[in-house]
Amino acid sequence: MIEIKGLSKTFPSGRGVVNALCDISFSIPRGTTLAIAGKSGSGKTTLLNCIGGLECPDSGSINSFGINIHTLKKKQLSLFQRQNMGFVFQFGNLLSFLTVEENIAFPLILNKMYCNKERKERVADLLEKIGLPELSSALPSELSGGEMQRIAFARAIAHHPKILIADEPTANLDTKTGHKLIELVFSLAKQEKCTIILSTHDQELIRFTDKIVNLLDGRQIKNE
Amino acid sequence: MLFWIKTAALFLVRSSRTSIILTLMVISAVSCLIFLSSLAMGVNDAMIRNSVGLFSGHISGYNIPDNIQKTDLAVKGVANVLQRVEVIGFLHFKDQIEKIVLVGVEPDQERKTSAFWKKTIKGRFIKKGSIEIFISEPVAKRLGAKCNDLISFSLEPGFKESQFLVAGIYKTGISQLDTGIAFCDIETIKHGTMENYAGKHKYFWNGAVFLNDGVDLDMVLQKFQNKIPDHVHFQTWKQLMPDLEQLISLNYFSMSIVIVIVFIIVSLGITSAFSIFILKSIREYGIMKVMGVTSIQTVSLLCWEVFLINIAASIFGVIFGIIIVSVFQKTGIDLTAWTSHNQYFIVSGVIFPRLTAYSLLLPPLSALVFSLPAAIWPAIMISRKNAAEILRGAG
Repeated sequence: MIEIKGLSKTFPSGRGVVNALCDISFSIPRGTTLAIAGKSGSGKTTLLNCIGGLECPDSGSINSFGINIHTLKKKQLSLFQRQNMGFVFQFGNLLSFLTVEENIAFPLILNKMYCNKERKERVADLLEKIGLPELSSALPSELSGGEMQRIAFARAIAHHPKILIADEPTANLDTKTGHKLIELVFSLAKQEKCTIILSTHDQELIRFTDKIVNLLDGRQIKNE
Repeated sequence: MLFWIKTAALFLVRSSRTSIILTLMVISAVSCLIFLSSLAMGVNDAMIRNSVGLFSGHISGYNIPDNIQKTDLAVKGVANVLQRVEVIGFLHFKDQIEKIVLVGVEPDQERKTSAFWKKTIKGRFIKKGSIEIFISEPVAKRLGAKCNDLISFSLEPGFKESQFLVAGIYKTGISQLDTGIAFCDIETIKHGTMENYAGKHKYFWNGAVFLNDGVDLDMVLQKFQNKIPDHVHFQTWKQLMPDLEQLISLNYFSMSIVIVIVFIIVSLGITSAFSIFILKSIREYGIMKVMGVTSIQTVSLLCWEVFLINIAASIFGVIFGIIIVSVFQKTGIDLTAWTSHNQYFIVSGVIFPRLTAYSLLLPPLSALVFSLPAAIWPAIMISRKNAAEILRGAG
């Protein structure tokens, strides 16, 4: 279970203090999928960053599987993220100097999971599942946007994280490719018993998720 | 640790364009500094070579009795020993008279080892077995003598005179060698010609000891002192020419300052280039941070990147530096146009750069020392900022 209580976050800007998030509260049971919906600038990315521990809220708490992640020290937070979280961003964010295979293996090596042989098998298995086994030795610069996102998902779930956080993962893809990707990711995540939190403004995509949090100018307007 | 070394290596290899530019920068900096410091060594060597090679040798021995032979001084490290015998007397030509020290030398050995005879401006150097004299330009002017003139020498005015043919006139530009001194064949002084001197007295000789390159001066001096009686006095070129020793120390000091200044400028360039290189890829470090890479691991990765690129570039830089120095070591750098009136470059203005452990090790070590801080501050920045800030900033 992930519990968010009274989360607020402000940013200083040239036009004064911007309320990016204001008193957000909701919970997500383990293994469910949640969509954070809202227009551009509504605070979706800030909320995801706070849930993922990438950003520190001004007030409120995020209890992730019994741990208030923002009370953790830097190193403990890094270890928590490494073991329990997987991230996918709008542009894939693969490490440009590593091949597809090395990118997917990166969190496994960080977590000291599997021996060399098993790690290779895990990577090959994931590449098979996302339908890109032939791209194992390709560099990110040689991939299309859709391929890059599929590999980013494979990397994000490679180490069996409890939470998968995806920030507008289909924003740079055409609708058909985007929906195919989400179907694939949801089925894979279910196999891995992973909680998925994604942000999107694609109404079609929201239908795939179990739960929706709607944001408007940093405020939670509806909770289903 | 192996994983981070491998990751750093992959990062460098696959960011090839940036890595090559950075590598070339370090290579050129390291090789230039190796050359510069080798050149400084070469300038000092040239000054010593010119100064000792002209006449005095590395070690001068005085008042050596005739029962000590040249071979007694030929210890390990000695290239040649030149025997010289001096008598004080007067040169007469027409109605002119000049007090001089007549130095008997071994013409063939002098030609082989010393260089003052190369300063001949008229005529030629004396030949072995001849009754010839080699005088300086000022002496020739004062006497009004020219080449092939017959001039006389006597120990005191009114004493028996010996006739010498002026074989050549020289000019070194060094007052000690140009005034009050003339040269003839050593045998002329030792036997026969100087009847009122040789044969009647036991002679004492002076030795100019020339050492092989790189031989320790003090070690040879110690061997002489162990072997030769106490009354024989030896002086090294450092004692004989304290001005030269001081000049060399000054040269080391000023060249070190120049090298340090050049290195600080080059290092600022290297540091900036490394910082730009790291900051250019800051997004990658942000992504790694998102995946749970700790600050220490980020610092370790950055340091390995800087270390690896430095090691590779330094190896090539040292090789390139050695090649450049080796080329100029063979050909030499002719600076005669700027040294011809300088007494420390009296024989030759050609500089031969010389590699030393200092000139080989200092540039690559300094490159490493100066570039590591370039990794530290981006690392501190990355570890201080949260991942979202880094990714936002890297846009």
